Amino acid sequence: MALLEVSGLGLAYGPIRAAEDISLQVGADEIVAIIGGNGAGKTSLLKGIAGLLTPTTGTVRFSGEDITRLAPHRRVGLGIALSPEGRQVFPDQSVADNLVLGAYARNFARGELEAEIEEKFALFPRLAERRNQPALTLSGGEQQMLAIARALMSRPRLLLLDEPSLGLAPIIVRDVFRIIETLRGRGISILIVEQMANLALKVSNRAYVIESGRITLDGKSADLLHDPRIRAAYLGVSHG
Amino acid sequence: MEAYVQALLSGLAVGGIYALIALSFSITFTTTRTLNFAQGEFVSFGAFVGVTALLVLTGTASLSLTYPFALVVAGVVAGVVGILVFVLAVRPFAGKPGMSWVMSTIGFGIILQSAGLALWGPAPAKLPGPFGEGIIRIAGAGVRPQEVLILVAAIVILFGFEAVMQHTRLGKATRAVAHSPDVASLMGINVPVVMMGAFAASSALAGVSGVLIAPISTASLYMGLGFALKAFAGAIIGGLDNPRGCIYGGFMLGVVESYVGLWHSQWREIAVFLLIILVLAIRPNGIFGARTLQKV
Ligand SMILES: Nc1ncnc2c1ncn2[C@@H]1O[C@H](COP(=O)(O)OP(=O)(O)OP(=O)(O)O)[C@@H](O)[C@H]1O
Ligand SMILES: [Mg+2]
Repeated sequence: MALLEVSGLGLAYGPIRAAEDISLQVGADEIVAIIGGNGAGKTSLLKGIAGLLTPTTGTVRFSGEDITRLAPHRRVGLGIALSPEGRQVFPDQSVADNLVLGAYARNFARGELEAEIEEKFALFPRLAERRNQPALTLSGGEQQMLAIARALMSRPRLLLLDEPSLGLAPIIVRDVFRIIETLRGRGISILIVEQMANLALKVSNRAYVIESGRITLDGKSADLLHDPRIRAAYLGVSHG
Repeated sequence: MEAYVQALLSGLAVGGIYALIALSFSITFTTTRTLNFAQGEFVSFGAFVGVTALLVLTGTASLSLTYPFALVVAGVVAGVVGILVFVLAVRPFAGKPGMSWVMSTIGFGIILQSAGLALWGPAPAKLPGPFGEGIIRIAGAGVRPQEVLILVAAIVILFGFEAVMQHTRLGKATRAVAHSPDVASLMGINVPVVMMGAFAASSALAGVSGVLIAPISTASLYMGLGFALKAFAGAIIGGLDNPRGCIYGGFMLGVVESYVGLWHSQWREIAVFLLIILVLAIRPNGIFGARTLQKV
């Protein structure tokens, strides 16, 4: 049984359809990528899994439990954390307080909370130096690291990452992906949405391609990396 | 000279009431992007709950013990009714297009006032302050002890609020909801419960303000509206989305009003609203405001 099982999911904003008949699985300890262009429905799909958008059709199951209509804050308790598109850190609160909020679902004892925060600072040393600064004073890359660290504070079993490379310089993107790489084998499954298909396919085990709200292709990332259709559409390489 | 000190002190006292109510507007606005237009009725309602609490306790203890009790009872009862406002008049409409919550909260205020009239009748009630009616002298100026009490109570409550918001888990969660309910829910915060709590706190502040002001105003079921309007003006001047700005705006309004009253009391209201128009012409989001109002 997969950790996350999405079947036949349809998502809409009022009359505007964002995704239709999406089915996908994420297994334990697996890193899965979703690639697709602007407006393909990637963010909407993650919102459906995190509970911010109520599906019009289909189901979402998490470790066997039907969570299709569960409130978002309860899903965090079950072990789903989303690092949202555009980072969305709490700008007026300090780096440390952003992390405290990330653990809101967990009710850690004080010492446990401190230990959890220190662990994140070890993972992201740049954040440690800035622990008392308001998050709005961080650079884009640092905010992305904070968003990921904040999501990890709830000790998720499934981490959802929405375009961690968005708006970052290539060198910072490399740093961020290196950190994602280090999360492998820590008992966390990751579902990562990216427009940078190359990086996403390199870091993941499997991948799905989403176009106009539908999954059009899926397979092992290593295979997709060499698939001519992917190379033409998402890796900027022409046929032949 | 004494007249100026006196005007300053009573301006600060009334300003303290404006500041508390202005803050109460800001609390629901920042967290839910809605306002409770029944806030004035909550001020009156709080005062009468306070009067009733004192009446029940008459003869059991001195007023300096029963008055704080009346403050707490008014705060708790108003807070509970505030939860009703959220559940019945705001939650069904929040996040939907349109401004139905404006009408539904006004309607709730009318119901609250009618219920109050049925319970207590239309006559004004007497709510004695704990330190009596005498005049105390500060720098030569005569002030009523209740005015000093209001000022001290307002400052304590405002600092307490600030401390909770900055340093507690609940305060941080509330600020997270104020920034973005969606992102807050991704932290595991139960957003509807936080919003309900914001309405409870906001209404409690209004209720407590009623008990504080009643001894120097006339405790009638109609008294709240005037205070709430001025407090709302204070909130607009300070910036509705900035709790601290709202507090400054409330105090500022009280002092300005008091000084203009010293000069010509019939100019008081005109001066106050000219001030608002002037401030908004220069700073459309209030002196300390940043975001626009159109986010609802
Ligand atoms: N809040 C919203 N209200 C209405 N329509 C929306 C909303 N958010 C997204 N959409 C629409 O839903 C569709 C899918 O959008 P979504 O944000 O999921 O795409 P995406 O794949 O994440 O794109 P991007 O790579 O640009 O982030 C688009 O057509 C978009 O216009
Ligand atoms: Mg997106």
